[in-house]
Amino acid sequence: MEKEKQKKTIEALLFLSEEPEKVDKIAAVLSTAPEEVTDLIRELQRDFAQASRGLQIFEVAGGFQMGTLPELAPYLEKAFSEDISSNLSTAALEALAIIAYKQPVTRIEIESIRGVRSEHVLENLLKRKLIRVSGRKEGPGRPLLYNTTPDFLKYFGLMDLEDLPPLEMEKQE
Amino acid sequence: MQQAEYKIKLPFFEGPFDLLFHLIKKAEVDIWSISIAEITDQYLSYLQSMKELNLDIASEFLVMAATLLRLKSKLLLPRPTHRGEQEEDEDLFEINTAEELFQRLEEYRIFKETALNLQKREEEQQKIYLRSTGGQKVMVFTRPETVYTIWEGANHLSDIMHRFAEATLTDAYVPAFSAVEDFVVAEKSDYIQSVLLKYRRPLPLKDFINAEGLWEVIVTFIALLEMARRRKVILLQEGTFGTIFVTLNQESLHEEGDSGEGKTEKDD
Repeated sequence: MEKEKQKKTIEALLFLSEEPEKVDKIAAVLSTAPEEVTDLIRELQRDFAQASRGLQIFEVAGGFQMGTLPELAPYLEKAFSEDISSNLSTAALEALAIIAYKQPVTRIEIESIRGVRSEHVLENLLKRKLIRVSGRKEGPGRPLLYNTTPDFLKYFGLMDLEDLPPLEMEKQE
Repeated sequence: MQQAEYKIKLPFFEGPFDLLFHLIKKAEVDIWSISIAEITDQYLSYLQSMKELNLDIASEFLVMAATLLRLKSKLLLPRPTHRGEQEEDEDLFEINTAEELFQRLEEYRIFKETALNLQKREEEQQKIYLRSTGGQKVMVFTRPETVYTIWEGANHLSDIMHRFAEATLTDAYVPAFSAVEDFVVAEKSDYIQSVLLKYRRPLPLKDFINAEGLWEVIVTFIALLEMARRRKVILLQEGTFGTIFVTLNQESLHEEGDSGEGKTEKDD
């Protein structure tokens, strides 16, 4: 397949996809090298930017995905107001922050940092597939361990866990 | 009911640490230099105002109040700490010294502020709209050698398709669909039906795909689709991406009655 067609295929594929697509997978589809795909995606990204399109291709959760430009949000919100997903509560964010940085972590550990019971918050996060049960901790009671999921990365637009903002350690103001 | 109500708005706190943190910030002091006595008084007076407003006070707040009072009394009445009599209380906090309290507050602060950072990222990310078909899968069939599912992340049905696709993309294998002979599918259907008759309960779709070969997978899959289409089996799924179960359509058994069990009821 010649280069131009590969590029078109990638664009079409990213357009159709609801999930970040891994370079390796695209490469397999096109029977080409992953580096080749990455180059083509970079080209596409530039094309999109130069042609002043309403869409962009961005890197997230170890793959590439197509989405709208952030500055269009107010208008798109008007158009699709019914399916806006609700934001996470402060409690959910706190618990999620603890899990993200301390994973794998037990409920008790989360509660001990937050100082409040957190069963419901965890249930909610599980339901939203932002966290998952990854196993049990050895020791008394063998409590469940929680980890974040790939959906967590997507939700916050993170490449991987390394991409998390640094912990707010000792801040001298 | 008609009496004038005081609408005093108290800020909402996630928990005792959150409240303490707020009090410290208000006092404009550093966590490490709080006066336990002062913070305890402020904390208690806050709980008092909650009580006056008839607000439910979560037990955690009360436990913290007790903890603070204990710390305060320790400071007022210094005595040799004999660790022996440490009660085995179900204390959510297990804070025994002011030092420990500071440490816990500091740890809470770190995550509270990190959570705010995450919230900013959430906001940013939510400005980007993504394509969504409400979780429906789209399979793209172009030519036999380029069958693949575009959607990932789902198990079960798409797992099967993935195995299919992987094999299709990598195996050196010869043409697919056109070569699927009817009798193979029919054979497989009979097998599926016999298994279902034996167990007489819904079985996960995955269980039928146990063979290694790509051919097996395709045939099983087509057989199941065909059986579902003819209403011989029912495919059940608990919610999007849930496990798919296959069960016999009892109605079709009665109607057709052509499968081994003889005794057909006569209907027109």
